[in-house]
Amino acid sequence: MMFLRSCSLAVRCSCFRKPRITIRPFSASWTARKNAAENALDLDVWKSVMRSQALQEESKSPNQSTLEANRELVEMWHQAGKFVPKNITDEQLEALTELTTKSAKKKYLKFLAIKESYKITKKEKQERRKSEREADGEFNREEPKNSFLLKIWSSSMDCLHSWRVAQAMRFGQPLVYDMSYNQHMSRREMENTVAQLMESEGWNRRAADPFHLHFCGLQPDSAYHRELLNRYGSHTWDQLLITATERSHVELFPQQDLVYLTADSQHVLHTFDHSKVYIIGAMVDRSIHSGVSLANAKRLKLATARLPLDEYLDWDCGAKNLTLDQMIRILSTRKDTGSWQKALEFVPKRKHGGFHQQSRGVTRTTKSRFIRNDSSEIHVPALVQSHRKNKTDGHKKQQEPKKWWEDRD
Amino acid sequence: MMGSLVVLKSRTCIKHLCTSWVVNPLYLRPALACLPQQNIVHAVRFIINPHTQYYSTKGDEQAHGRVAKEKGFTPRTRPAFPNSVFTAGTARRTAEYMKKRAGVDTEELSNNTPSRGRGSVKVTLPDHPLTTSEWAKFKESSSKPDRFEMHMMEGLLAANADINIAKSLLAYVVQDKGTLSYELLLRYLTLCVTGGHHSEVFDTYDIMRTCFKTLDTGASSLFIKGFSQTERWREALEVLEGMKKALLPSPRNYSDAIAGAALHGDAGTSWMLYDELLELGLVPNQDTWQCLFQSGITQRGQEDKLFSVLSYMRDNQIYPEEPLIKTVKAWFESLPDQKWSGKFSFVVPSGECTNCKASLESIQLTEEEYAELKDKVMKKVIEGSDIFKKTTPEELKGFKSFVKQRPPFDIVIDGLNVANTTPKAAHSETLLAVVSELQQQGLNILVLGRKHMLQPSRNWDRQNMSKIKQKAHCFFTENISEDDPFLLYAALHSGVHCNFLSRDLMRDHKACLPDSATRRLFFKWQRGHQLVISHYVPGKRVRFQRISAYDTIVQTSGSSWHIPYDENRGDRATYEVPQKWLCLTQDH
Repeated sequence: MMFLRSCSLAVRCSCFRKPRITIRPFSASWTARKNAAENALDLDVWKSVMRSQALQEESKSPNQSTLEANRELVEMWHQAGKFVPKNITDEQLEALTELTTKSAKKKYLKFLAIKESYKITKKEKQERRKSEREADGEFNREEPKNSFLLKIWSSSMDCLHSWRVAQAMRFGQPLVYDMSYNQHMSRREMENTVAQLMESEGWNRRAADPFHLHFCGLQPDSAYHRELLNRYGSHTWDQLLITATERSHVELFPQQDLVYLTADSQHVLHTFDHSKVYIIGAMVDRSIHSGVSLANAKRLKLATARLPLDEYLDWDCGAKNLTLDQMIRILSTRKDTGSWQKALEFVPKRKHGGFHQQSRGVTRTTKSRFIRNDSSEIHVPALVQSHRKNKTDGHKKQQEPKKWWEDRD
Repeated sequence: MMGSLVVLKSRTCIKHLCTSWVVNPLYLRPALACLPQQNIVHAVRFIINPHTQYYSTKGDEQAHGRVAKEKGFTPRTRPAFPNSVFTAGTARRTAEYMKKRAGVDTEELSNNTPSRGRGSVKVTLPDHPLTTSEWAKFKESSSKPDRFEMHMMEGLLAANADINIAKSLLAYVVQDKGTLSYELLLRYLTLCVTGGHHSEVFDTYDIMRTCFKTLDTGASSLFIKGFSQTERWREALEVLEGMKKALLPSPRNYSDAIAGAALHGDAGTSWMLYDELLELGLVPNQDTWQCLFQSGITQRGQEDKLFSVLSYMRDNQIYPEEPLIKTVKAWFESLPDQKWSGKFSFVVPSGECTNCKASLESIQLTEEEYAELKDKVMKKVIEGSDIFKKTTPEELKGFKSFVKQRPPFDIVIDGLNVANTTPKAAHSETLLAVVSELQQQGLNILVLGRKHMLQPSRNWDRQNMSKIKQKAHCFFTENISEDDPFLLYAALHSGVHCNFLSRDLMRDHKACLPDSATRRLFFKWQRGHQLVISHYVPGKRVRFQRISAYDTIVQTSGSSWHIPYDENRGDRATYEVPQKWLCLTQDH
């Protein structure tokens, strides 16, 4: 590795932080000096030691490429304790060289460093879990029991979900993702968008009554298409139970049925209309493009609407535009339950300070459930069950019944 | 209460400015501290351009009377009367005032939270060089033994400690571990450079050069800084050259290298580096200029170059800071046979320098500049990349023909912005008062608004609106369209004499412009043509703030120089201009 070669002999022989050092050519004189230093303070001893460790090979080629220069810079930054990745691939290095400004380079390196540290912690966690499993593997082997049902495997769940989505493709309400924002997004924004699209598709598949998803205006070989294929894999992509089309939403649906959902709209979506086709712009906006989707809707003369966020929530901070997966969870909850309170549970909690206090008026139960940080009444069993229904999160589903039994006994 | 109501509605900073004037009459007082002799005359009228227009006629007696009454409101440090919203320091003062009103003591806050920089590590430091065994003992007793030496070195750096302590630490580490890490050497180098230990810098340079493949930007910058103060300053240039391989060096690096060359009397090299800096598109910092002017005092023959620095400042609308302006003054005064004399002075609102009585450059744009600005605003601000973002093609077409059919306007009013001036009156009343005030002066007015203003409501009275329509031309855009771009276009289309009335600073529209030159042009036009309501109480006369008649920019008339400068760095917001000037004249 380059990093090792660049360092001193001592590093090559042993580890950086280990206090004990192995044999080196000058060790005799060095120990002698050490003894001397004990008596008289030799302040410059480090200089002679470091000088003796000079790089052996003098292979400093004068005309090195910018790629190499960048690699060395990243290495030295790592040694200087800056937040940059320890290892960098050639591809990443090329992307780095293409960036022109210093701040862009630093930002990209920080991004890579964060990614690297996630990877490392994940690996560590996996290994820890593996060793734990090996440790108590013998005790935990369960005996086969008499059971009424076979174990429900995830494949059987998949089958059920696919059935539901297939039904939705024939009879379900359409929901359109407008994929015409290619030129408005950087590479990273595009990657984020596709990640959010995948997540939305996943949530939709698991919904009790899924939408019929349309990816409209998806040009073949556009950045969207490439990234989707890359993430899903072409096999899965072809089997996906959604409608992906090059045609735009105005060609597929009558214009009066379409409603473009955008946070810039002046109209509030008070009621969810089951006969309308709602459009969500498939765009992640990390910079400041305001009014892009509103301009799109204006151009096509479509009706627009925004979610009633201000009407229900004490908005705190953060932009009113939500991620694509949050949008689909809100819409499908609203569609299934008819309640905005339940639907807007999916707005990130950091963005608001809870629901408006007016909602207290209806009944006691709704109050306790939807005012933030108020879980005192959740002990009532009936409440827990209705509470559970809303939670689509897998982990919580498994944990909560246990808690309920504990509390009851 | 009232103030906060307006704040809620406000979109940009200037609206906060205005709320304070609404509440605190002190802000309206024409306490022109700098020019007492001009007091009454200039507070009352507004000199705009050769065609002098009088926008307000009432005296200040009322305002003076109210000062005594409402003294309880006065903040302890009384802010001077802001000449205009573009005066340096207005934004900061207003922000402080608003904070005080909200009951937050800014000073207390800043005192209670000490700045926690990188070096503020809480460690006990030795006060003399320790032996190896003493360091080992010290390490054992420390709470964080894993990065002990790094913490120690950072602590020594923060405390600006004796370099021998750091050396003994290095000696200990090298005996403990057999080598030194790059990171530790880098910290040690910082200590050497900030402490000015040149021989140590040289030794560290040799060691780091041989032990590591390359140097990172941090070490390179430190070496450039360290070397430039010594006789080995030429090596700083090599380091600078090495830096360029991977990254663009910063203006600071160039500044250090230029200072090194200038310090050692090599003016040629320093100018070469300066030209290179400009070629790379970097903006030189104030220190660079200061050392160039400094070397101009000791070494003749750089006059042309230094005058080109001044014209660079003019072109890029950069204002020198106080240390630099003193050096510039000294340089001018040191020029042989020319007898320059410099005085720090002010400029009165009519554009006359108080020192030499010469009048400064007018703020009006030239015809080409004006045409260019008009074109750019149309293309970039209104149409932009997508015309649907701000309006629709039909609406724009309708507006263009509307403007064409009418005679040029004298003033264009941002109806919604003006209507929101005070929470004390209904919106339509405020707007009507402003419109009638201006109409009495015989001006051709255009009021821009949105269609919802025509819907009768509590705020928008039908009768008031019809009166406004009689007194002025009106254009109402769609409710989802932006009205500011239309305002800019109408004002620019009507010609140089046309002003516009709005509290909005138009910063978002300025940001739409493609390059900084056009943005400066826009800002100049804005300073010369934007009227702001300074004070309005329902039922009283509307008062406007003055528009400056002169341009705040580095300028010369051959025998004199006028250079605006920043008195206090950080006091001026980006949309403000300095008020202090250096006036340089030649004695004959």
